[in-house]
Amino acid sequence: MGGSASLLPREALGEYQELTFLSKQEILLAYKRFSELLPKEERENACSARVPKSRILTLPELRANPFQHRICHVFSTSDDGDDSMSFEDFLDMLSVFSDSATSDIKSHYAFRIFDFDDDGTLDRKDLEKLVNCLTGQGEESRLSTAEMEQLIQNILEESDIDKDGTINLSEFQHVVSRSPDFASSFKIVL
Amino acid sequence: MSYHYNKAFENPDYHLSETLEINRRRSPQENLFSYQAPYGASLPGSYGEHDGREQNYPLAIPVASMRQGSEYRGGLPRVNVLSRSPYGSFTDNLSFEPEPELAYNPPSTFHSPYTHSTSNRSEDDFIWRRDRRPHDEIFMTSSSVFETNPVWKEEETLVGNLASMSTNERIKAIQKMPETMKKKREIRNKVLKEITKKSRHRSTHLSCCTQCLQGIAVSFRRFGNSLSEYFHLLQLRYNTLKVIGAEFGTSVLSYFIFLKWLLTFNIFSLLINFSFITIPQFLAAEPNNLSFTGLELLTGAGYFQQTVLYYGFYTNATISKIKNGPSYNMQLAYIFTVGLYFVICFLILLFSIAKSFWRNFINPQAYSVNASKLLCTWDFNITNEKAVKLKQKNLSMQIKEDLTEVNWEVLSVSAKERVVCISINFASWVASLGTALAACAGVYFLSTNNLKLFVKGHRNDLESQAAMLVLPVVTSLLNAFIPFFYSWLGRLERFKTPGQHIYVTITRNIILKISILGILCYYWLGIVAASESQCWETLVGQDIYRLIVVDFIFCLLGSFFGEFLRRIIGTTVYVSLGLPEFDIGRNVLDLIYAQTLTWVGILFSPLLPVIQIIAFSIVFYVKKVSLMMNCQPPRKVWRTAQMTTSFIFLLFFPSFVGVLAVIGVTVWRLKPSEECGPFRGLSSMYAAVSEWIEILENYTASKWVVWIYHNLITSELFFFILSTLVLIVTYIYWQIIEGRKTMTKLLYKQISNEGKDKMFLLEQLRSLQRAKQTPSAPGGQGQAGQSSSYHPSRQPAQQVPDYPGRAFDRNQNASYNNEYPDAAGILRGTGFPPGLERAQRSSGPGMSEAVAIALRAREAAELEDQYDDTYPQP
Repeated sequence: MGGSASLLPREALGEYQELTFLSKQEILLAYKRFSELLPKEERENACSARVPKSRILTLPELRANPFQHRICHVFSTSDDGDDSMSFEDFLDMLSVFSDSATSDIKSHYAFRIFDFDDDGTLDRKDLEKLVNCLTGQGEESRLSTAEMEQLIQNILEESDIDKDGTINLSEFQHVVSRSPDFASSFKIVL
Repeated sequence: MSYHYNKAFENPDYHLSETLEINRRRSPQENLFSYQAPYGASLPGSYGEHDGREQNYPLAIPVASMRQGSEYRGGLPRVNVLSRSPYGSFTDNLSFEPEPELAYNPPSTFHSPYTHSTSNRSEDDFIWRRDRRPHDEIFMTSSSVFETNPVWKEEETLVGNLASMSTNERIKAIQKMPETMKKKREIRNKVLKEITKKSRHRSTHLSCCTQCLQGIAVSFRRFGNSLSEYFHLLQLRYNTLKVIGAEFGTSVLSYFIFLKWLLTFNIFSLLINFSFITIPQFLAAEPNNLSFTGLELLTGAGYFQQTVLYYGFYTNATISKIKNGPSYNMQLAYIFTVGLYFVICFLILLFSIAKSFWRNFINPQAYSVNASKLLCTWDFNITNEKAVKLKQKNLSMQIKEDLTEVNWEVLSVSAKERVVCISINFASWVASLGTALAACAGVYFLSTNNLKLFVKGHRNDLESQAAMLVLPVVTSLLNAFIPFFYSWLGRLERFKTPGQHIYVTITRNIILKISILGILCYYWLGIVAASESQCWETLVGQDIYRLIVVDFIFCLLGSFFGEFLRRIIGTTVYVSLGLPEFDIGRNVLDLIYAQTLTWVGILFSPLLPVIQIIAFSIVFYVKKVSLMMNCQPPRKVWRTAQMTTSFIFLLFFPSFVGVLAVIGVTVWRLKPSEECGPFRGLSSMYAAVSEWIEILENYTASKWVVWIYHNLITSELFFFILSTLVLIVTYIYWQIIEGRKTMTKLLYKQISNEGKDKMFLLEQLRSLQRAKQTPSAPGGQGQAGQSSSYHPSRQPAQQVPDYPGRAFDRNQNASYNNEYPDAAGILRGTGFPPGLERAQRSSGPGMSEAVAIALRAREAAELEDQYDDTYPQP
């Protein structure tokens, strides 16, 4: 592919194909895009390098996404918690967002993206943050406190089946399974 | 008794909502607390061979602290609460903590609550959940490690299971794990190691044959991979679709996907027709001596009349280039190709509808509007910054509107308003049906007029050619402008939901288009076919050709005027109008109309798909450019998947089924023209087949064909039996569906009841803890874990107003003893000390067991109650 970037080893390519939902073309494209994010001198060993979060977010596919920070956080395996991404994390992310990923795995990761405080359930605070992400931070589009309260109440009424005041993964997947559009909209393609 | 209910959990069809399953079938030890574990749905049917894991599985023990948890374990051997946690040494549940501040341990001990659990939904469907953050786990193969730590053990099971799968299944299962790449690779390597270990035992006498087969399989897979790569390169529009999705979201994208689908569909039909009808005809073609002027491209008459484009040009002879060699019977080729084509179309449509229904209309009434509007609404395809802003603004607008609507709906509509509303509805239906009728009458009048022109003879002058174009132009005008009238009508009626508005408008448009097509078909089959024209099939073919071409031109004009000019006006003259939106419904209906025309025309003009391919490709690019230049993303949240399903359904139901009827009448009932086409001289097109069968009867080798023809195809009895069978099967399935619906309702009720239970018990637990903390501070925990101190209290159940004490008492005596002998034994042994005093003394673990047993008892009582309600005993 790109002349400046070193090529992905053949066996690694096969392995990635086996471990992700991506096709060979998609992996090669991902590799190219990923090594473009790296500074010139690191391109040689793109497979082992980590790209800081700020660089990852310059990708046009993520730049405008209101959930960009969450996506980085969920898919990063960085030990220091700086949300930097290695190539494999990057592939993981693309695999989940790819066309051929199953709805199950998509909803699993969607849940984790929406779970802002990482506590395993979507509680009121998570939902509030989620709604804020969806409506944007602008003055005129923000919901008032009363509206937010009512909205979250509505959501919980519908989806909190065991009435514990939070939405857990099963309940989330239940809602998602009733919304056929989800699989097609939870998608990022390079 | 309650086994009846338990059956449902084993039912594989319940998997649609499997995430909610609560397994009661297991023994009480395993299932005392079956509620949660944050990231692992507890599912039935885990690996049978691995009991330890199963027991550890549905843990969710209410413990006040970690320390208590471990004491609890020691004191109560009966109840296996040994949690398996992904975090190495800490083994306690994470989600059932009574006190929020204790709920989550400091990050030093827990990375996150994403626990992992293994579930086996169907045979090959593994979902392995686990924290993505890498732990300091090293996979040791020593068996002692596996024994001591349940995590290793589980891993081993998983690896073992994966190793026993076929290659394809294994790859899929590993792909499906929500894991980091590193983790997946480790698992894969272990699995591979396992496999090689196993195969070493067997590989000693691995025959050459299997090696050969494996080699072939590998090379075949490689070939498939490289083929798909090239295919990927061929998908030029891939990028276009991505750009559209990035800016307009999935709803507009669905139009283009539909268009692309139709395009491939037409390419396929072209391939079939061209290879089986046209190529043989080229071999036997006579020279064409008509002149080509250019206007024919528009009218389809003149020069084209003597080409393979039309039915009339095809020969009825048997084509054989080599003397005494194999021959090609044009009649049979024609009828079988067209017949086969329609059968294939039918199957493709049927399967895509079925698939689409299966995916998208799983349970429409359970569609939770508000929740999914938020939880599933974000379109990650959209990457354009402006589009994101706009989408956010629209979403917030919509949320606000919905909220006010909910409040507004509470106000009841007065009777007078309702009457006004209904009468407006009625009036607009009358108006729309009236317009459709008027349009049909107009088209009919014009077409009969047109026929006179044809019959008068082929004057090849400009005037008559222009006159030919009157009918298609008028039809397209009607098709283009009446929908505007309909959408205006729709705005007059005030529909409750936007969805209703869309569906009503689409229904009206479909009625209009289909009735225009119907009247045209009547004209073709009833009047043109009966006229004394030379070759009526060609006339019909030409008519359809013109309709398609003019419709295509109008489509281009429509995007010019409807979108381009509208944008100019919207941005300069009336700024308040703003940018136009892309009208998905209208555009899709235009596509369906064009496709229907193509299908009708295939018999009369086998190469019509070529015209349609060209038209669709141009439409694709024109619409794309027009969309990018002129339009803004749709304001409403559009339930794409369901709309797509309805579009495919519309393509199937009035459109394709209607075409089948038209083709059927033509083939079986109408007399083909005497002087042209492959069926000249026959009484009907179908006669070609019956004549062929008569010839076949003389050959003994082909007796089976004759037998099939006589006993299956022309036999009423066979079809009678077939349709009876189909009816019976349909009825049975229908009954099964009804049963499942009832079951779903019951399960819903059950879940919500158990939720109430859980809340109530938590409440109790909290109050107990508070009570305990006040008299004896931390020291009280010391006595935890003594089995004597656990006292299930009947107080909780009696305090709930909705659960009558009757149920609880009876349950103790009856069902509890039957179903849960162990638990009942425990109950009897401890002897139910009345009151709460002693229960209060008992601390965390003892209390949790009490809660557990109370819970079981309540569940059982609940079940029995339901059973009694649903099936009253005699």
